[in-house]
Amino acid sequence: MLSALGQVAPVIAEGIPAPVPEQVEFFENKVRPLLAEQCYGCHSAEAEAKGKLKAGLRMDSLAGLLKGGDSGASLVPGDPAKSLIMEAVNYGNEDMAMPPKAKLAEDQIRILTEWVKMGAPWPGAVAGPPAVQAHGAEPYDWAKIRSSHWAFKPIIKAPLPEASGKTWPRSEIDHFVLARLEAAGLLPNPPAEKHLLLRRAYLDLIGLPPSPEQIAAFLADDSPDAFAKVVETLLASGHYGERWARHWLDVARYSEAHGGFGDKPLPHTWRFRDWVVRSFNANLPYDQFLTSQIAGDLLVENPDPAGTGFFAVGPTYVGDGGDPEAQAQAEAETLADRVDTFSRGLLGLTVACARCHDHKFDPITTKDYYAIAGVFRNTRLEEFPAAPLAEVEAFKASQEGIRGQEKRIKEFLAAAAERLGTGKKEVEKSLSEPEGKTLAGLRADLESRKKSAPPMYPVVHGLSDSGSADMPVALRGDLRKPGEIAPRRFLEIVAGKDAPPYTKGSGRLELARSVTVPDNPLTARVIVNRVWGWHFGEALVRTPSNFGLLGEKPTHPELLDWLAADFMEHGWSLKRLHRQILLSATWQQSSHFDKEKFSRDGDNRLLWRMNPGKLAVEAWRDTLLAVTGELDPAIGGPAADEIWNSKRRTIYVSTSRTGEVYQADQFLRLFDAPAAVSSTEKRVTSTVPQQYLFMMNSPFMRGRAQVLGDRMRALPGGLPEQLRETYLRLYSRPPEPAELQLASGWLGSTPGPARWHDYAQVLLSAHELIQVQ
Amino acid sequence: MKFLQHELAYRRATQQQLTRREALYKMGAGMGAIGLAAMLGERAPAGELISPLAPKQPHFAPRAKRLIQLFMPGGPSQVDTFDYKPMLAKHAGERPASVDRKTLRNTKMGLMPSPFGFKQYGQCGKWVSDIFPETARCVDDISFIHSMHTDIPEHAGGILMSNLGALQPNRPSLGAWLTYGLGADTQNLPGFVAMSPRAQPRGRGANWGNAFLPGAYAGAYVNIQEMKPDAVIQDLKSAGLSRTQQREQLDLLTKINQMQLARLQQDQNLEAGIQAMEMAFRMQFSVPEVFDVSKESDETRKLYGDTEFAKGCLIARRLIEEGVRVVQLSHSIDGYDIAWDTGHGDIIGGHATLAKACDQGIAALLTDLKGRGLLDETLVVWGGEFGRAPTSEGEKGRDHDHYGYTVWMAGGGVKKGFSYGATDEFGCSAVENRVHVHDLNATILHLMGLNHEKLTYRFSGRDYRLTDVHGHVVHGIIA
Repeated sequence: MLSALGQVAPVIAEGIPAPVPEQVEFFENKVRPLLAEQCYGCHSAEAEAKGKLKAGLRMDSLAGLLKGGDSGASLVPGDPAKSLIMEAVNYGNEDMAMPPKAKLAEDQIRILTEWVKMGAPWPGAVAGPPAVQAHGAEPYDWAKIRSSHWAFKPIIKAPLPEASGKTWPRSEIDHFVLARLEAAGLLPNPPAEKHLLLRRAYLDLIGLPPSPEQIAAFLADDSPDAFAKVVETLLASGHYGERWARHWLDVARYSEAHGGFGDKPLPHTWRFRDWVVRSFNANLPYDQFLTSQIAGDLLVENPDPAGTGFFAVGPTYVGDGGDPEAQAQAEAETLADRVDTFSRGLLGLTVACARCHDHKFDPITTKDYYAIAGVFRNTRLEEFPAAPLAEVEAFKASQEGIRGQEKRIKEFLAAAAERLGTGKKEVEKSLSEPEGKTLAGLRADLESRKKSAPPMYPVVHGLSDSGSADMPVALRGDLRKPGEIAPRRFLEIVAGKDAPPYTKGSGRLELARSVTVPDNPLTARVIVNRVWGWHFGEALVRTPSNFGLLGEKPTHPELLDWLAADFMEHGWSLKRLHRQILLSATWQQSSHFDKEKFSRDGDNRLLWRMNPGKLAVEAWRDTLLAVTGELDPAIGGPAADEIWNSKRRTIYVSTSRTGEVYQADQFLRLFDAPAAVSSTEKRVTSTVPQQYLFMMNSPFMRGRAQVLGDRMRALPGGLPEQLRETYLRLYSRPPEPAELQLASGWLGSTPGPARWHDYAQVLLSAHELIQVQ
Repeated sequence: MKFLQHELAYRRATQQQLTRREALYKMGAGMGAIGLAAMLGERAPAGELISPLAPKQPHFAPRAKRLIQLFMPGGPSQVDTFDYKPMLAKHAGERPASVDRKTLRNTKMGLMPSPFGFKQYGQCGKWVSDIFPETARCVDDISFIHSMHTDIPEHAGGILMSNLGALQPNRPSLGAWLTYGLGADTQNLPGFVAMSPRAQPRGRGANWGNAFLPGAYAGAYVNIQEMKPDAVIQDLKSAGLSRTQQREQLDLLTKINQMQLARLQQDQNLEAGIQAMEMAFRMQFSVPEVFDVSKESDETRKLYGDTEFAKGCLIARRLIEEGVRVVQLSHSIDGYDIAWDTGHGDIIGGHATLAKACDQGIAALLTDLKGRGLLDETLVVWGGEFGRAPTSEGEKGRDHDHYGYTVWMAGGGVKKGFSYGATDEFGCSAVENRVHVHDLNATILHLMGLNHEKLTYRFSGRDYRLTDVHGHVVHGIIA
């Protein structure tokens, strides 16, 4: 940075100290927005490029202010009285009162005064944070960022590190983990007990607990590949797709309504959800998975528009009165959703931050933002047939027939009315008998056509292209204030300055290619990291949607890269990645608490144990229905009913975007399901009393308790057997003697059905059921 | 008060946690991470749960501890309520250049005087329309802001702008920001309660939603017509079990959970769960009392009268007494989600009816709060999403006017018997000391002890604020 600066603008390196973090914050939060809002219109590179620069003064860099304009230096750092900029904003000189339209508010002037007084700290103008600012025409020092920030560097598959514990590693993953543990003087936890390992695998891969029979079979299997066989079985289960689709739907901010102020329900969104479930089950290679979601409708072979629901079922904002400003704002907000979901979800970059100004921390320009936004601006929402062509044609032909018949009847009546000289309404009464018969015949034919008409073929919400025009940068994010044209192309930090512009239609297929080319350093890292996080509760980069300069750094950078490279080498296969992770000693560790290790690494950044965790709400409700034997295991299809009338898996219930349309909304929110207003980085876990009110009083919990209580009561073999079977079903383990004793005491010698229900409710509410060890 | 005992216990717990937080900070763990964990009710690194609604320190000493928003969706007309413009009568039917501005429907008609009489009230001599005679008696406690303006003349966007500081329903609401920033003084009720009779304001739940803030900060909605505590807190009542039976059940559950805890040695989620379950048990009995207005004295009930809106006002007072941070009460008299929009066709009938339905409740609330010594630390804000044009639409209606309208505040730290800013001589556009919605929201946060530029939440790579990149505190109305 310093050397670059030395070449470009030697003058400002002298006498001005690097800003301290508080000054950076002050500048970025107060001063820069103020200058951008009030001054850049006439005093910036942009203004210069458009020939609108006034007084030869640029105020978008410290150098510009120091150099000044036609009236000389505008700024004397540390001395407001001598700084022309202060004289201008104070309206001290009539010829130079700025901004010309209206004087700044008092606290705005105060901000500028304070800033000049403190020496006009300008981050990046001299050495100091943040490191991304550069000089001259370039907003960032691209080369330096590309070579210094981990996420922009090429992915390198490093050799496995050496660790002294030779026997522990079961897979490549373990070498990386053990090396870091050993370097910190820590050892991994012992493997999890067999029944807990099985339970963990079931909940992790399919989101349902194992049955007592499945537990018994696994415990009895002593072969070395016993666990590998379980993993294969689970990956082959259709429930795998349901569990893992739910993770992806968090990223896709999936809901069944549009999310404008009316939150209008979208009737066919479930087909996108089913598409995601099917894609996971079919192990669709991740690069194709993304391509279909960005541009499935544009694929030459096997077009697959259902995937584009990823964008199409996103929030689409509208106004409610036709006010032009409101419309522009709604469109801008909708575009921001597309760019944000695309960039954070697939690339781990917060491109939407560059909507109004160049990104303050990451190397992303407004031109980058509008290059991507332009792609989506050339699309429209479309309902695509999701049926064979013949079915679609048959439907259209039959509808055509109905319309034709309706027309014939209308024409017949019109002709008769003209002939008889009556009005259209009275004509029927005046018809002769044969004419009446003809009319009845025509009508009967219409009825039969209607009756025999095939139902409307299924459709999916998707995107289609609507144009191929580049859009201008919207000044300060306002679509009604167009700036310079931003050719559609990929982000400059990744694709370079000379990245070819997108030219085919909206450019989505080209965009998909930019995302999935192997030398894109982000895509593979982002998904491998997400998958890791979904398996471990914490990802290697603990900000899975932000790989930028403000995101966290990977705890195991070489491992992340190794996994990403290996993932791409092996066909972007997610199931292969699951296998690698589940068969590692790292994943199979117990989650046991260890005081010594906890005190050294309480956050488990080094992975000395499996993270203990709580089931996500969907898996918890599914588990409750599974252990009572009530779960409807049907895979796919629309939500048949509201959640409390349904026994289907939770992924299939309808949810709205604003969280208030469906029964499920409130319940899911209470247990930490994310609001579908935008792409979710990771779920949080909260514990609030209302969750326990649900467990104590909800009709759902009381209902499950009754079913379980009756089941227990009907089991043969007396309390020990009844409890054994139930504990296995609920917690994957037999009860301890103390638990048996507790139950026996509580139930009494001759418990009635109600007592059994109350007892069953306690077992269903126990922490062990919602917990993953 | 009723909850004193566990409030005290709670505060003790919070104190300890604050100390722990400080200790961690000194150890260099970083305030941000721990502060955030605390906010989310996540496990703090060293253990126990910190409730997301635990009271938090404001940025500076607050002037108001609680907020009651009396929200008037649909756009009440300023010149027919609190912004007296005698010039309208003198220039009736004319269309001077100053009012020739584009409104939503862009009516090209002339000025229309208010059909209502105005009288002067209080020591401050404030002119108030005849449709608000009761509120008029409280003018000496009120600060009127006559120079409000907002971005667009559409209801949905305007209402969201008022409540979220954004035109689309994808940002947290003012109440959510406040509970996020301040927590609440009760753990037995939601920190933020939204109410309305019959119809929710347009945009519905987004107006009290949490968007990307944690779910605990979402407002809980009550329909005043039904007024069931169950509606505020789902599953509050046990369907079949007596208190004793349920206690027995929970004792068993606690034993089972503690056995599990002993096996695990340590598990923050479980420890927190045991606390939360006990709290849940107690809430079943304490919450319904708050909504039971039958215990109020005859005098009090008479003061409020028997409109649905007034009932909401009375519940609002009871909620804030119990430590709820924010209550938003929206007006409606039928199923219409923008009640005051009756102004398009008929200002006289629509506005008179709506005012009558809320006037006594508003006055009673201010009087009651004052009588109980609560007004000084409770901020009451009245207003809609925009106002209505001084020109006419049709024969006796008025179109939307977002260039100038009136909002008033009372209590918590604002000047009394005071008017701030002004519209032009006809009441069309704010011309003096203009106050944008962002400025109003910044001022509300300021009065509650929060710096609107510092109350931020990092989401999607950005630090979000209620006021986005705007907002200036209106110091002129602060006492």
